[in-house]
Amino acid sequence: MGFSVSGSAAILFVGAFIAFGMFHSATTNSFERVSEAEDDRAEDALAQQNTDLAIVTASHNATTDVLWVNTTNTGAESLSVGDTDLLVDNDYRTGWAANATVDGDNATDLWLPGETLAVAFDESTAPDRVKVVTETGVSATAEVIQRG
Amino acid sequence: MASVSASHLILFIASMIIAASVAGVLTDTVGRLSGAIDDQGLQVSEDVRTDVEIISDSGSDAVYNASGDDLVVVHLKNTGSETLSVDGTAIDVLLDGRYETDVTAALVDGADSWRPGEVARLTIDRSSDPLESGTDHRLKVVVNGDEEVFEFRS
Repeated sequence: MGFSVSGSAAILFVGAFIAFGMFHSATTNSFERVSEAEDDRAEDALAQQNTDLAIVTASHNATTDVLWVNTTNTGAESLSVGDTDLLVDNDYRTGWAANATVDGDNATDLWLPGETLAVAFDESTAPDRVKVVTETGVSATAEVIQRG
Repeated sequence: MASVSASHLILFIASMIIAASVAGVLTDTVGRLSGAIDDQGLQVSEDVRTDVEIISDSGSDAVYNASGDDLVVVHLKNTGSETLSVDGTAIDVLLDGRYETDVTAALVDGADSWRPGEVARLTIDRSSDPLESGTDHRLKVVVNGDEEVFEFRS
């Protein structure tokens, strides 16, 4: 009888050991994945809180047919020109980033706090509204002023 | 004495078989459970990472019927940290509480995967049941459990 008790106990022990190993790795993996996601989300929320922008001028010149949109980064977060979106009368615009300037510099993609992003569009009819959306989802809208 | 050792041997073999089957069932069950926990962890982390924002301008009157064909056009920006899929099954749209089936979603830059920071255009065809002009509407978009509400006037 001695052998059968200790032998089966050993088999059960090995089985329980393997089972615990699988369970442990699965739970720690899941926990790590979820807490990492929560960390990233908290970081994104912080970036969102630090983001603020203001449209300084949104004006359309009827003689030159140009719409100027100047937006200042009034927050504490550095933004990217490529990840910024612009809507004119709810029409999503693409391809403007190549001609956009940040404080006169058109090669940079960085839009740092305090700097002003200037964008020009060729617009034969004057639009009513513009909206600028940053990469964190914070946005600003303005009515277009007629000039010229 | 030979009969004693023979019965010992039989009992030994029987106990080994039972112990092995118990251990097998235990590891199999725990294995399945671990797989389920792994899947759920992945799902929860995807849900946590998903964040979209409706960036359309509700102050503009060009949300509905801008080109005269009874389309509601809104733009969705991926502001989370998860790459989302942009086919019709991944995005659920409710307009005034009604589930919309005639919805097309495409990325504005024509790419396939909806990476963080990119914008998708959502077009809802209401030509079968046009919205009355001058009425208030509520659009709800659900992506991966993340709900966004957008209110506009037609």
